[in-house]
This record gives sequence, structure tokens and C-alpha cells, in this order.
Amino acid sequence: MWKTLTKFAAATFLLAGLAGCTSTDSSSAGDTEKTTASNYPKNNITIVAPSGAGGGWDLTARAISKTMNDTKLIEKPIQVENKPGGGGAVFMATFATKEADNDYMLMVKSPPILINNEKAEGNSKFGYKDTTPLAQLTRDYGAIVVKNDSTYKTLDDVLNDLKTNPQDVTLAGGSAPGSMDHLVGIIPAFKSGIDLKTVKYVSYDGGGEAVAALLGGNADVIATDASTIATYVKSGDVRVLAVSSSERLEGELADVPTFKEAGIDEEFTIWRGIFGPKNMSDDAVAYWSEKLQAMVETDEWKSEVERNGWQSEYRNAEEFTKYLDEQNNTVVELLTALEMQK
Amino acid sequence: MSTLQFLADGFAVAFQWQNLLFAFVGVIIGTAVGVLPGIGPMSGVALLIPVTATLTSGLPTEAAAASSIILLAGVYYGAMYGGSTTSILLNTPGESSSVVTTLDGYQMAKQGRAGSALSIAAIGSFCAGIIALLGLVLLAKPLSSVALKFGPAEYFSLMLLGLAAVSGLAGRSITKALIMTVLGLMLGTVGIDAVSGIERFTFGQPMLFSGIEFLTIAVGLFALGEVFKTILEKSDDDGQIAKINRILPTKQDLKDSAVPIARGSFLGFFIGVLPGAGATLASFFSYITEKKFSKTPEKFGKGHIAGVAGPESANNAASGGAMIPLLTLGIPGSGTTAILMGALIMYNIQPGPLLFDEHPEVAWGLIASMFIGNLMLLVLNMPLVRIFAKVIETPKKYLLPIIIAISFFGVYAVQYTTFDLYLLLACGLLGYLFAKNDYPVAPLVLALVLGPMIENNMRRALTISNGDFSIFMTKPLSLLFLIVAVSWLLIPLFMKMRGKNVIINEEE
Repeated sequence: MWKTLTKFAAATFLLAGLAGCTSTDSSSAGDTEKTTASNYPKNNITIVAPSGAGGGWDLTARAISKTMNDTKLIEKPIQVENKPGGGGAVFMATFATKEADNDYMLMVKSPPILINNEKAEGNSKFGYKDTTPLAQLTRDYGAIVVKNDSTYKTLDDVLNDLKTNPQDVTLAGGSAPGSMDHLVGIIPAFKSGIDLKTVKYVSYDGGGEAVAALLGGNADVIATDASTIATYVKSGDVRVLAVSSSERLEGELADVPTFKEAGIDEEFTIWRGIFGPKNMSDDAVAYWSEKLQAMVETDEWKSEVERNGWQSEYRNAEEFTKYLDEQNNTVVELLTALEMQK
Repeated sequence: MSTLQFLADGFAVAFQWQNLLFAFVGVIIGTAVGVLPGIGPMSGVALLIPVTATLTSGLPTEAAAASSIILLAGVYYGAMYGGSTTSILLNTPGESSSVVTTLDGYQMAKQGRAGSALSIAAIGSFCAGIIALLGLVLLAKPLSSVALKFGPAEYFSLMLLGLAAVSGLAGRSITKALIMTVLGLMLGTVGIDAVSGIERFTFGQPMLFSGIEFLTIAVGLFALGEVFKTILEKSDDDGQIAKINRILPTKQDLKDSAVPIARGSFLGFFIGVLPGAGATLASFFSYITEKKFSKTPEKFGKGHIAGVAGPESANNAASGGAMIPLLTLGIPGSGTTAILMGALIMYNIQPGPLLFDEHPEVAWGLIASMFIGNLMLLVLNMPLVRIFAKVIETPKKYLLPIIIAISFFGVYAVQYTTFDLYLLLACGLLGYLFAKNDYPVAPLVLALVLGPMIENNMRRALTISNGDFSIFMTKPLSLLFLIVAVSWLLIPLFMKMRGKNVIINEEE
């Protein structure tokens, strides 16, 4: 008798566990709905992070969903879904085709939406033109970093060495060639007329490993995000030679010259924004434009931004689309110089 | 000494009632996360971040950060405890780090020794957890600088050593093991090449851009392969499974496990410290080492307790070791530690060189709570063994559907694509065919993990040296690994040539 009971208990334990797992973490907000001019949204909303849980896209998506629901700006529950694969390319294909008319599915993305579409290898057939850009929400910048005891004091030192003996300078970054870190790293070289194919670029799996390579003496210069490098500057382990912003940053990196100040006439913003599907209805676009504009003003959003160490930068749908056009030109120009364009 | 003082302060933080509670909740959830395949430590931790943020919202930032990282870390190492359960009972690895546990764990379960296997896994994990923590307290600073010295050349040579040791996973024929190794290396080349950014063998399919998921292959080959075998070779052995005689390991089991646990703990800890190497590699290395040093290598793969004790200790120790680069350098060594780091950053606490100076309460509170958490896990897991061990007595007709469901659910929860489900099915069939024809699948799985790492690190090293291969010989650590790898392969051959009666492999 006891045996059968424990057997049963064991089986139910496993099954119960399974069942427990499948239930999602969607918050159940009230079903009451404000009656606006249109009747959008009628259904629950999904924001997709086209990556695994925990990355920048995922955190942004969750921050939006949380702020919108907590502040009751949007009362319909907003669910965050992770659709990883191909650096965002897998979901991009679905988003641009199957979900093109689905007003209830949005996506968070950053510069790879441009890069993946324009580069020859690992190409995503679909780009930002196959979406409806709704708003830019945050920004970060690239930084050119050396170890504290490096002989390089300025960006010019690095560029001079790259000109004279490129085989002695190892540039590293946290992502594959033709992706964001690589582009940030070679912008100064490109603008100084250096043959980009002579520049040695070593790619690591993520910014953390790139920093490790720098600290361990396995890379001479790395390109990475300005926001994550600040703590190493504070501890005195590294020096930042330049940042890719148009104006000087605040805080730890306040003394660091921008690309422009270092004589490089270019800037590169690592923005994050939210996109609707290609054929999003006008009602839905208007609804989200209004809600997103209101959201970035709330204290809740500001504290989310601060908590995650982001910088707030808001562009509405129109400005964002124009901005994307400009950014796309920069990306194409760089990829062309690298002979990596499609 | 000041370290002791800091540790005592840490315990003061960890013993606050809410932090005890948080550690307890963390390890319970972690155990569940580990037991249930699919929801791995990474997604488990990620999903709990918003929950802990809400729970700790009333506390001051520093205390809130300490409390939530205590809970999240509990999930992380708790999952390492639980991860062995399905490997042992159902031949279904829930996490990549417990793949190697299936080799002997499942055999033990089949022989009615599931209780011993499960409890030795728990005991081993506990010892490893404590050893890794002591290492963390005493060696954090010096080890972090060693980890930094590990460049591409050193990684390449270390991984090559792992591959050279693959013969340790061979069954009866070394040739077949080599065929499987090459197959694994080939599968590892699929996807966008991380060094050049070029697509390889993707046929333009976006789902292949990021390569073939290791867990899909492992679950397919091991778990579904076994399911297909049971269905296709339907025999009347239903109910013939040996009765479970005991829950606790015998004295002999404990004696056989003591050394593997100690060795696995040290090995796992040091591999864990290296960013990017991780728990999976640690468990494989431990298994291979145990087999190499064992007086009875022929027993491995047939239910040898050392084959469970070693790897299970190693993967737990590795998760402790991985805390060193995370806390002292701010460099996450694995996906899960990257998420833990994200959680700390959310509280405006940046892990890195300044953490121990700026936020000692968080750093030492976490370390102290891990001592307590490990103890909780041991107390929690031993009674659970009794319940879990009964699973093996479930009749096949109920058990098989459960395994299939868990496998599909697990793979989908990691990959979110139906493509991987087809791949899973295909691997299941392959796994059956391989097993039927005596092709060992473990070398394939190991090669799939090691292949891309070997390749990427070799090419990084060569980029740095401008194509000069001497970089692998001029770096002392790298040279050491290469020498060990070569002697690993050559010494048995050499001794055989000298006429010594050495078993290279049980080749027929």
C-alpha cells in the first residue's frame, strides 16, 4: 500500500512540476478598458525580445511591460516573450511575414536590425523597413578602451600604430566581425583612411570576455559599451581613449574625449527602440505613440532606466524613422569599406 | 585576519531572518528548476529577477541587493544539485552540465541503485559546494589574476587536452569513438562563424545561424534514444527492474566515491574559475579523469558510482568557481552568471574590481549565504531521494510518455522553435541506431561542446600572433597542456610496444 502511494506521489510530483512550469508569468491586470476613439487594444499585448532571457532586449521589453502595467497607462496585460535565434534574425523573419498584420505583437531591437539586414553573411532578409518603428527609448555609446599601463595615451597613438605596423595591434570586441563592437572599433580607423583589412580584429563571446582579454594582455585595444566599462575606469584597471557620442558623457567618463574631439568626424549610438509590425493599423500606431510618449515621462520608467544603468533618449515614431535612415547609411558605408556589405 | 572579519560580517547579513528565508526559497526553486528539464538555471534565474525586485522593494538598496542576489544565487547552485535527478532516473539530462551523469547514473538506476546514485550526487554536490566556497574565500584574488592570464592559446591547448582524452569515453571500439568525435566536431561547425562572421552549413536558414543547440542533441541521443530502444526492442522485462534496496549509499559506495568527489571538486572549481569553460566541461573532465585514474576503468559506463560522484561534484564546484570572475572582475563565465550580474546591476551595484571594497555587505553576505544554502540543500535533498527513487519503479507504459513529454518540453523551453523538436526526434532515432551498433554517443556530445571552442580559440590565438603557430609552445601553460595531451595519447601506446600488458581499450 505504502509503495503504491509513494509511486503515485512521485509521478504526481513530476507532473505537477511540469504543469507549474507551463503557466506563464503574465500579470493579470483588470479587464476594464478605457474607451478611446478607437477600440484598440481589444486583446492582450505581447512584446517580443528576439533573444534569450536576461539580455538587453529582454530587459528593455520587461521594463516597458512593467512600467505600462504598473502605471496603468495600458491596462491590458502586456506579456514578454523570448524568441531567440540567429542574433534576432529568426524572429525578424516571422515578424516581417506571419505577424505583419498583428497589431498586438511588438518587438524590441537595436542596431543589429540594420546591420543584419545589410551585411552579406548571416543576412536577415528583413530590416527596419519591414517594421513600423514606434519609438527610440534608450541609448548607449561605444568606447575605445586600453589597459591602464598601455603605452597608448590617446586615440591618435593607436591610429598611428595601426598605420605603421598594424600586425602589432590587436583589436578585440565582444561580438563577431561585421557586428556592433567591430563597427565601433573600426570607425576611427576608417575615418583616418587606414586600410581596414589590415586591422586585426579578434572577436570574443560577449563584452565580459573582451574585457578579460584586455586585462590579461591578450588584446591591446577593445571596443565595447560605454556603460559597462565605467566601473573598470573607476577601479583604475583601464583607460578609455574615446567614446562614440556626439557630446561628452557624464560621470566616470566625463574626461574622455568624443570621437569628434579626437579628430574623427563620426558618431555611433547604440540605441534601443520598440517596433510594431509592418502593416500596423493607424489606430494602433497612434495609440502606442501616445502611450510611449507618456511612459517616458513617468517616474517609474525613469527609475527603471536608472536601475539598469541605461540612458534615456526618446525619439517619436517620425524622428525615429528618420534617424534609422541616417544610421542605416552609416552602417552601409562601414560594411562597404570592410567589403562585408550584401 | 581581515578576511575572517569580513566573512563574519557576511554571516551576520546571511543570518538575518529574511535572508535565511530568501536562501531557503532560492534553493527550493533551484532544486525544482534543476529537476525539471528545460527550465534550466539560466531561465530560472532570469524569470525570478522581477519577482525578487518586487519582494525586496521596501528595503534600502544595499540590503535589497544582498537579499535578492542571495535568492538568485540559491536558484543557481540549487539547480546544480537537482540537475542530476532526471539524468540518473530517466536518462534525460536537464542541463548540459549533467549530460555525463547519465552514463553511469542511469545504469545504476537500472540496477536498482538509484537511491545510492541520487544520494551520492547530493553528498558530492555538498562537499564540492563547501570546497568551492572555501576556495572562493581564500583564493579569490590570486585566482582572478590567473584566470586573466588564460588567453586564447591556453584555452586552445586545454580544450585539445579534453579532446585527446575522448578515448576515455569510448566503449568497445576506439575507432567508433573517433568516428563519433569527428561527427561531433563537424556538427559544431554549423552556424555563423564567430571569428570571421561567415555563415557555414546554414543553407541560408536563420534557425541555423546560431548553430546546433547542444542540449537538443544530448537529450535526443540519450533520452529519446533510450525511449526508442525500449519501444522497438519491446521485451517482457517490464517490471523486471531491480527493486530499490536502499536509499543511502553503502559503505563501499562511500569509499569508492570519496576520492572522485575530492578530485571532482578541485577540478571543477579551477575549471569554473576560467570564464567560458563552465560546468559542462568540468563534469566531462572529471568523468574522464576518474576513468583514467581508476583501477577498474572497465566498470565505467556500467554503473560505477565514481562516474556519478566525480562529475556531479565537479559541476557544483564549477558553479562556485564561476563566482570568482563574476565577483572580482565583473566577468560572467556563463550565461547564468551573466544574468546574476544583470541582477546586481539593476540595484546599481556593479560587480567588478570594486565590489568587495564598495559593497562588502553584498559580496560577503552572498558568500556566507552560500554556506548556509548548501547545508539546506543537503538536508532538503536527502529525504527527496526516497521519493524520486520510486520514479524508476513506475511501469514503462507510464514512464515512457513522461520521458517523451519532458524531453520535448525541455528542448522547446530552451529553444522556442519547432525546428529543434524535429531535430530532437531525428537525434532520438539516431541515438537508438548508434547504441544498437555500439557507437558511443558521449564522444559526439563532448566534441560538439569542445569543437567550436577549440576552433575559435585557435583562430583567435593565430590572429594575435599573425599566423605564427609557435604561440602555442611559447606560452608556458599552453605548452604544459599540450605535453599532457600528447603523453595522454602516447604513453599507453608506448607501454604496449614495450610489451607491458596494458589495456589501451577493450578492443575486440
